[in-house]
Amino acid sequence: MQTAIIESLRETTDGQEAERILRACTHCGFCTATCPTYQLTGDERDSPRGRIYLIKQTLEGAEPTARTQFHLDRCLTCRACETTCPSGVEYARLADIGRGLVDSQVERPPRERAIRWGLRHIVAHRRRFAFLVALGRAMSPLLVGRLAPLRDKIPPRRTSTGQDSHSTTAHPRRMLMLQGCVQPSAAPNTNAAARRVFDRLGISLIEAETAGCCGALHQHLSHRETAREQARRNIDAWWPYIADGAEALVMTASGCGAQVAEYGHLLRDDPAYADKAARVTELTHDVSDILAKQDLSGLGDIGTGRRVAYHPPCTLQNAPGLHDHVAAILAQAGFKLTHVGDAHLCCGSAGSYSILQPEMAGELRRHKLDNLESGTPDVIATANIGCQLHLEAATGVPVRHWIELLA
Amino acid sequence: MSDVISGERAAALDADGAASKATLVAALTAALPHDIVLTDEESLRPFECDGLSAYRALPMIAVLPATVAQVQTVMRICHAHDTPVVARGAGTGLSGGALPLEKGVLLSLAKFNRIVDIDTDNLRATVQPGVRNLAISEAVDHLGLYYAPDPSSQIACSIGGNVAENSGGVHCLKYGLTTHNIVRLEIVTVEGERLTIGSDALDTPGYDLLALMTGSEGLLGVIVEIVVKLLPKPELARVALIAFDDLRAAGNAVADIIKAGIIPAGLEMLDSPAIVATEAFVHAGYPTDATAILLCEVDGTTAEVDEDMARVQAVAEASGATEIRVSRDDAERALFWAGRKAAFPAMGRISPDYYCMDGTIPRAALSDVLIGIAELSEHYGQRVANVFHAGDGNLHPLILYDANQPGELERTEAFGGAICELCLKHGGTITGEHGVGVEKIDQMCVQFPTAELQQFHAVKAAFDEKTLLNPGKAVPTLHRCAEFGAMHVHNGALPFPELERL
Amino acid sequence: MSTTRQPSEDRTEAIAAQVEDAYQRAAPLRIVAGQSKSFLGEPVAEAATETLAVHAHSGVVSYDPGELIITARAGTPLRDIEAVLAENHQRLAFEPPHYGPTATLGGTIATGVSGPARPYAGAARDFVLGCRIVNGRGQVLRFGGEVMKNVAGYDLSRLMAGAHGTLGVLLEISLKVLPSPRAQLTQVFEHEAPEALAAFSAWAARPWPISGAYWEAGRTHLRLSGAQASVDAARDALGGEPLDEDQSFWSGLREHERDFFKRGDMPLWRISCAPASPMAKLSGTWSLDWGGAQRWLVSDAPAETVREAAATHGGHATLYRGHDKPRQHPLSAAHVAVHRRLKAAMDPAGILNPGRIGV
Repeated sequence: MQTAIIESLRETTDGQEAERILRACTHCGFCTATCPTYQLTGDERDSPRGRIYLIKQTLEGAEPTARTQFHLDRCLTCRACETTCPSGVEYARLADIGRGLVDSQVERPPRERAIRWGLRHIVAHRRRFAFLVALGRAMSPLLVGRLAPLRDKIPPRRTSTGQDSHSTTAHPRRMLMLQGCVQPSAAPNTNAAARRVFDRLGISLIEAETAGCCGALHQHLSHRETAREQARRNIDAWWPYIADGAEALVMTASGCGAQVAEYGHLLRDDPAYADKAARVTELTHDVSDILAKQDLSGLGDIGTGRRVAYHPPCTLQNAPGLHDHVAAILAQAGFKLTHVGDAHLCCGSAGSYSILQPEMAGELRRHKLDNLESGTPDVIATANIGCQLHLEAATGVPVRHWIELLA
Repeated sequence: MSDVISGERAAALDADGAASKATLVAALTAALPHDIVLTDEESLRPFECDGLSAYRALPMIAVLPATVAQVQTVMRICHAHDTPVVARGAGTGLSGGALPLEKGVLLSLAKFNRIVDIDTDNLRATVQPGVRNLAISEAVDHLGLYYAPDPSSQIACSIGGNVAENSGGVHCLKYGLTTHNIVRLEIVTVEGERLTIGSDALDTPGYDLLALMTGSEGLLGVIVEIVVKLLPKPELARVALIAFDDLRAAGNAVADIIKAGIIPAGLEMLDSPAIVATEAFVHAGYPTDATAILLCEVDGTTAEVDEDMARVQAVAEASGATEIRVSRDDAERALFWAGRKAAFPAMGRISPDYYCMDGTIPRAALSDVLIGIAELSEHYGQRVANVFHAGDGNLHPLILYDANQPGELERTEAFGGAICELCLKHGGTITGEHGVGVEKIDQMCVQFPTAELQQFHAVKAAFDEKTLLNPGKAVPTLHRCAEFGAMHVHNGALPFPELERL
Repeated sequence: MSTTRQPSEDRTEAIAAQVEDAYQRAAPLRIVAGQSKSFLGEPVAEAATETLAVHAHSGVVSYDPGELIITARAGTPLRDIEAVLAENHQRLAFEPPHYGPTATLGGTIATGVSGPARPYAGAARDFVLGCRIVNGRGQVLRFGGEVMKNVAGYDLSRLMAGAHGTLGVLLEISLKVLPSPRAQLTQVFEHEAPEALAAFSAWAARPWPISGAYWEAGRTHLRLSGAQASVDAARDALGGEPLDEDQSFWSGLREHERDFFKRGDMPLWRISCAPASPMAKLSGTWSLDWGGAQRWLVSDAPAETVREAAATHGGHATLYRGHDKPRQHPLSAAHVAVHRRLKAAMDPAGILNPGRIGV
């Protein structure tokens, strides 16, 4: 597409990257076909192509208003469009730039600002979030009227199923695992299960205590500098282990995995971190990607024919650097995978999306659950904490991280 | 070009004393929900072009109706206010058929995305116009059925747009175009009345308005529902990937396959630049050192496919193929096709912009026309990649250019025009399946003499007396032809005689 | 089939001149060629006392088997076309009825008739790629072309199919042709009519190489055409009893030479409807062609009753034999208006076969 980016932006890193991305777009519209929001609303502005246009006109000097912001907000950043795009348009990167630009020019109403502040300052912090979850569970009976929808957001209490990290054997093979911010309190079993499965394969999963949130939340809420800071902090936390021979960075939440896999790009202009970040990107793998390369015959027939509906998170399907082997692993372990229609469409969780866009997220979830439940599964499996929490709030079928099924 | 068209129209409207934007917005918002009437530039800008982004025009107003009643309301109001209306589906068209008018209303039918009914007894599906072409086949896949026409953009293009353009696809040599695969349309007339075209039977009394409406590019009515035919999926389909190191040999192989009595389900060709670009994206295993490849699909029962495939291989070998690979399973077949289906947009990887032509020629002229295009490419100094429906003689030269370079688009248009005229010279047509839109409107002056164009206008007037439906598209005014200075081609007299090849 | 072919002659100028002259005088014309299909459609208005004969405008203009396209003048005998194609193992896949030895290509396309293969191969209009016509002003116009795909301008050439010459006098027609099937056979099944309809539906949903499905008097005839291997496989899978005289059976059906079509004095109705429509409750004798989409009824039921029953399932009824008027299913008021405007656009003086299309 032809572009005419304004002088003041043309020389900036963002401006140049945006221009490069825009020039790759041929406006063919293929992306509209797999965009969950466009499929719901039929409004060009809710499609990747339309949003690219909204961003383009902002870059070309048109003053954005809350309208542009509204349609950019409605994007899930599921990146299905990138997978569909034959021209290789890096939509998510353009969306980050566009959102930053628009948010710097359009002030949000106080209520929106408060929610966004809360997301960044509480959810993205392990201990603060754990406190909030505990508080929420305690206060749940009081969440009525306008606050009722919030009850949806409080993860159910789970009984811990296994030993903690210190009781597994220390193996010579070691890999780093990201503890994450939401997962430890919302779904503590996931990492525990991963640890046990890896233990059986002769690999120790270790955690760097000072590593924290991956930065995805900040990134998507137009606080890209904070996201970079978090990336640097995590790299600092991991580096001693990497130097010490940790083979890989294992991601049990694909949402985090997608963000960590971007560190190389995020810090490419930071001379102090660029090389380390690139190395981290290289080492980052989804847990299924690691397991697919191991000999799993020792796991045996764990599934015994139980029916599993697998929901592949968008980050596993579309983020570059992550690869999805879950279905093959589950099948190998004796589970029966049910047919799930429209598997490429987002469930509506999408990080903070389900909190910021509850209506759209709810509708997407309804469609997703209809498809997941159509094969009458015993359990729904997914690979990301966000999807897990979002889906289980609206279905009677248990929703688990798939690694739990193997543990 | 968009400026010329809207300028022409604007002058006419001013003369007619058409409604101002304010009046129209007031009328529309009084009758429709406010959030489906877009009036501000920020909201309208994303609608300024379709799949042909070289032509852009900001619509005065865009309306996004969700019901037929709302469509009728829009049409009634616009008709009463003498305001032109451009209907738009998925906006994937490649001829600028959905290019808005600066003094017109853009009517988006994208919200009409529901499959209304699947009738397995009669093998039909009733769908809304915004339903994606591929979504129909996906919805009936579990029944062993599919909808045959499959344009390359089938993942995203809407069935309403397919009807408006009479879209083809890679399988239409055997299974026909859109016009062969629909039985009934519900349209809203320019006056806002509903009219059924065609019927649930295989024919209707009176004139075949279904044939007339199909491919009329939104100039005769607004399509609001379509009944399509469904076909049983063939038991087996296999595709042969046939490579050549010589363009002429590839062209001859196409005619030889047909002469051997085989009607392939699909017979497609990609030339070297197209192979390289698509391979980079799809990794379909195309041989990147080949001068051209043919994709030849045969389908039917297992025995039939084996029989036909053996013949195809024999013909290809005799024609000088350097490599023949036959798909072993459906996954490999899908992979072979994936490159072809993504070929146009994949050009975005080797060039910032591309301009897709659509001429159709007799199969016998394939080699000559391809060589003629290569010579034109040298003359204009612009690269061209060829991806096309060889079995139908339907060419898709993609002219690569950079819209940010001043003058390149104009040179590209001239190059495209020369390709159109080369096709006409060889007894072909300027458009096989993409439609005339705004893109090829000037070449219509070359393809058709005045009397034919007048006849087209008379037919248009029978449906739309005030010329409000998608004006300025598909059929040029005689005034426009005079300005363009083009004459209908007589006896092969064309511009650029030095570039012609007999 | 005769081996002598009608001589080639281009009478374009004379035909155009006669139409132009008639246009100047507003004198209606009755277009005439082989007369084999004059019983179809409505009678031309009696005011049309002048005859426009196109029979002599004849001959194949171009035919290249490698292109799968034949172009011929309207007066060319249909049997000549079929003979030329047969020499190259090709054919008109819509299997047009001749309804007599004098049938011409022009009359075939003008009436838009198709034979038993229609639901599987397509109708006459589906094979029209282009044509030259004389419109009601006497202008010679060319639409479409000699290529497989063409979307430049409105599809006026397909519109000519079934227009009975009322929108223009056909001069030349370009048709898509197809290779003749390598093998063909017919299987017979004992069915009651509802069973036959159910079988038609079930068969059509599977990729069998079906090229004809006809039921009459308790027997379903299923024709299979294509590669030998696939025809054999379908026969083995579907069963039924083989029919020996299979060629003459289908040509007899196509040409209405079967007793069913010739017997008795009662009116013969053609009911065109969605193929799986249930049997209408009408008195009389039925046969079912086109896999259920074209039904024939010999009945003395009132015309109104027959038309109403046909319309119930989105269909329409045409009188093939009998005296009722009109013969065609009446159009809605909205369609009458569109038809009149379209007719006026092509033939402003209303001189081409007035009355023939019934509006």
